Amino acid sequence: MTRPRTPGLSPATLARRSESALARSEGVREYLVFRIGDDVMGLPLASVKEILKLAPITEVPRASSEVVGILSVRGRMTTILDLRRVLQLPDAPVARGARILLVEHGDEVLGLRVDSVTEVVRLLEKEIEPAVAIGGGLSEHVTGLGRPSNREGREESVIVLLDPVALLRS
Amino acid sequence: MNEETERVRDEFLAESQELVESLSRDLLLIDHGQKHNALDPDLVNAVFRGVHTLKGIAGMFGYGELSETAHVLEDLLDQIRLGKISLEQSTLDVLFEGVEVLQRLLGAVRGESHEVDVALFRDAVRSITSATKVATVDPLAAYDIGDDVLGVLTEYEEHRLRANAEQKNPLHRLRVRFPLSSIDSDLEAVKRRLKPVAEIITYLPSIEGSGDDAIELEVLLASRATIGELRTLAGTDAVETVRLRVPESRTVPPPRMTEDGDVFRRDSKPPQRTPTLPPAMIIPESSQRDMGAEGIAVRAVSKTVRVDITKLDHLMNLIGELGILKSSVGRVLERMGHHTEMRPISADLQRVHRSFERHLAALQDGLLDVRMVPIGQTFERLARAVRQVAREHGKEVRLVVNGGDTEIDKLIVEELIDPLLHLIRNAVGHGTELPQERLRLGKDPSAIIALNAYQKGNHVVIEVEDDGAGIDTKRVLARAVERDLVSADAARELDDHAIRQLVFLPGFSTANAVTDISGRGVGLDVVRTNIGRLGGVIDLHSTVGVGTKFTLTLPITLAIVNSLVMRVASHTFAIPLTVVQEALALSEYEQRVVDGREMITLRGQSLPIVRLASLFKLGTPPNPKAFVVVTALGQRRVGLVVDALEGQQDIVTKPLGKSLHRVRGFSGATDLGDQRVILVLDAPALLDEALENESPLAERRMTSGGTA
Repeated sequence: MTRPRTPGLSPATLARRSESALARSEGVREYLVFRIGDDVMGLPLASVKEILKLAPITEVPRASSEVVGILSVRGRMTTILDLRRVLQLPDAPVARGARILLVEHGDEVLGLRVDSVTEVVRLLEKEIEPAVAIGGGLSEHVTGLGRPSNREGREESVIVLLDPVALLRS
Repeated sequence: MNEETERVRDEFLAESQELVESLSRDLLLIDHGQKHNALDPDLVNAVFRGVHTLKGIAGMFGYGELSETAHVLEDLLDQIRLGKISLEQSTLDVLFEGVEVLQRLLGAVRGESHEVDVALFRDAVRSITSATKVATVDPLAAYDIGDDVLGVLTEYEEHRLRANAEQKNPLHRLRVRFPLSSIDSDLEAVKRRLKPVAEIITYLPSIEGSGDDAIELEVLLASRATIGELRTLAGTDAVETVRLRVPESRTVPPPRMTEDGDVFRRDSKPPQRTPTLPPAMIIPESSQRDMGAEGIAVRAVSKTVRVDITKLDHLMNLIGELGILKSSVGRVLERMGHHTEMRPISADLQRVHRSFERHLAALQDGLLDVRMVPIGQTFERLARAVRQVAREHGKEVRLVVNGGDTEIDKLIVEELIDPLLHLIRNAVGHGTELPQERLRLGKDPSAIIALNAYQKGNHVVIEVEDDGAGIDTKRVLARAVERDLVSADAARELDDHAIRQLVFLPGFSTANAVTDISGRGVGLDVVRTNIGRLGGVIDLHSTVGVGTKFTLTLPITLAIVNSLVMRVASHTFAIPLTVVQEALALSEYEQRVVDGREMITLRGQSLPIVRLASLFKLGTPPNPKAFVVVTALGQRRVGLVVDALEGQQDIVTKPLGKSLHRVRGFSGATDLGDQRVILVLDAPALLDEALENESPLAERRMTSGGTA
């Protein structure tokens, strides 16, 4: 029932992958897939600058509830958000394999804490169901649902694809 | 127009006005120079740069007509600068007219109705530029300057060279040897000494003679001074002085040249290159052209490097990182100390560590020093504002400046100009009385405004003081009550000092308020907010009939701050030691609650205390072993209650991300080196907050949101 995980996916590997010829070929989009609880979600790979292991985060009193705190990323004070709270999902203890995704937001780099990072998937256009086609019920953060067709060694799943811009706008 | 755009416009107007003023001043000097045949080319450059700046800022703020006019003027000045148009009275007339047009356009921006005929001015400029003539004979041909030099001159330098050649000024190539370590200051000194008698066209590194620890520069200059004099002025490091062959070279008696021993003439070329030249004009030494001590030397500018302050911040950050590494090494050393067998190595490492520490401190000091500028530069800008505002109000004001050499962080200085301008306008416009009124009061008809700066510990104090009418507490109170800034009941309990502080409240100033800034719709609350943003405070003292004094207390630098590290519940915070007076054990003092506010009595004075745990809602029970950190800025004091003190540390405060800018109470965060990031308390904001709470003014201020 547990799917194989690829923890500690190095940014360098990701960078190489994102530059791969396949990514540029038409109709293929790359997503970084991660989990929050049982939910499988994805952000466009290009929007994620870096993946960090969870480090001690300094709490900031008086900050809004989705702010976990700050972390020094190579000397730069980076605000870390709890993606769970941003998405208004119920709170849960911090997962052991938790990661921080660094995402650019305007001229600021923000960190998003997620429970685990699983993989990078390439989705063909036909494997993405746009949110508009699905209709109501989805939050504005969601651009669509990814349904990778059954490939070898992989069970069928649905990936909730998020829009980083909408996500951080609030 | 809302307040913000109005503020932006006012700032633009203030800066442009200053520029236009200095333009007309420089033009007057040029006019004078032209009439006396002693024109300083640097002045033309100053005007050119001024117009260029004006064009830039006018364009930036969207004043197209102003920007275009400045552009037309800039083009004309460029041509003059490069000698393509000669500077005659008729040209000067057009320049003066241009300044007048700019002045009127500024007036129009200000909302005054002025007839401005920009087209007429443009026609006038065009009539000059179209009449441009090109010099037919190249006077430089008379000198053996050498293509190696000519090839690298800028257009401007070439023009200056040519202009000197036209006047048949002797040209010299001076080779001066400088030690690498002090070349900047040495070169500056040489330039300063030469300036009265010579015009330095350019200087180039010389190929020969430059070694590992020294460099030789070839200075190309025009001067009527003798070679001996030039050599003396250039100093002992002058290696060689070459007088370039000039038209009158044949009339210069050879003995004079050879007297100088090691001086030689580059005279190898046959003289037929200059057969048609007129005989030399013999000009007595006494009538040497005044090369202009006034104005800014173009070359002097090139010696300094303008650096974006963010680059310095970056370097400062790197030094901070080095400091963190240093403490890490220190911890390793400590661990090594526990192992006997490592002692010898550890002692070696200890020495290296100490030396590293020293150099790092020197590096840090050096970088801090780069950021420091004398406050006098800012005061000079204010002096112009004083004159101008005084004229506008028909007042006589004398500005007295003290302590202009006090140094302060460049970043702070930049941010200080606006608040100080505000206070100055305030003092001239409303602080001082009209001359006839002053005479009636038995005062000197011309008022005195003093700008004082001095260092006080880790702070710089700047005072803006006038000997005017003072602030009438009755009027202030009446206005504050009228504007609903304070209730009539609460007002009765305020003493005079507290009443005067009301002028800092948002919404106090209006167009006709006692303390308003002439014609500006913004008040002292903005000044206080801006000063607070710099980690400083503003205070006000006034005596009716005697005068008013605003006191600004600012940190010397924002870069590296020695801080007190302290703990509250599970959180660690730092607070700059510059604002910490002392730390006490809370249990040793009796605590009282007055008017809902906790107080202790410290040496006979009440000190309000604020429990950071409750202020930050950290939810811990009162700690019997708590400490009080007495925090003070200017006259305002508060005791911050913390659980433990961890010690002092030099920290580099780094800003929090934009997403946290609305969180009050923290000026940034810092990396402690042991992988710990801690928040740095924003003392001015906390003082504001602590002293506002429960006070009659609290509600009002909270809703205004006017904090840093």
